[in-house]
Amino acid sequence: MIGWIPILEPGGSLGHYWWLLLFPLVLGISISYRATHEVELVGFWRRVLRFAFKSTVAMGSLGAVMYLFVYLIIPLVRGG
Amino acid sequence: MAHDSSQCDEPLNWGAAFFGWIMPGLGQVSIGHAKRGIFAGSGILGLFVGGLLIGGVDCVDRHEDPLWFYAQVGAGPIALASDWANSALLKSGTVGELVDTPSPLPRATPAKVSSFKTVTPANEIGTLYCALAGLMNVVVIFDALKRTRAEAPAGSGRNR
Repeated sequence: MIGWIPILEPGGSLGHYWWLLLFPLVLGISISYRATHEVELVGFWRRVLRFAFKSTVAMGSLGAVMYLFVYLIIPLVRGG
Repeated sequence: MAHDSSQCDEPLNWGAAFFGWIMPGLGQVSIGHAKRGIFAGSGILGLFVGGLLIGGVDCVDRHEDPLWFYAQVGAGPIALASDWANSALLKSGTVGELVDTPSPLPRATPAKVSSFKTVTPANEIGTLYCALAGLMNVVVIFDALKRTRAEAPAGSGRNR
């Protein structure tokens, strides 16, 4: 870590916990999206966090559905 | 469904759109929506710099990943600068060193790549961050293009 050159050298993807990088990604998208779609910027950060939370839950749900499809539905269909 | 025709009559802010590409959020700032522009720009620049921190400048490569680059270049000159840094610093061996890499074809000459080049998920995630930053900036640029110029003087108390 001491020899790491930021920007030029990759910092890494947290290994098995790479999926945690979804959260800052969704937060960045939420900030820029809400900044352009809010009529007034009162309560901006509260709405950003709510939007980020909803997006994360939606993407997590899609991941869960894909997991069930790949590991449950497909083996059932192949077995049947 | 009724449409607001008055919004269609507003002139498009081409200058603001150009400034928005030069620096994310600057388009909104240039037409008087400073706070909105700063928020939008910080989100986009946070994404782009985050992508570079995760995957390094190797994430922006117009020769090896042209389709990703088309999305990334939406973030503006920062994407062009990253691509330049990748070519001029990493691929030339100025920073790091060039190492032999096995060729995918048996009779092809082995290529040399930078020791800073990643083949881990870090590269994919960094590339995704930078590409989404570029695509989000396109959304912000369109917003600057269509947004009504702020009439109220700065510091009038309204959040814009």
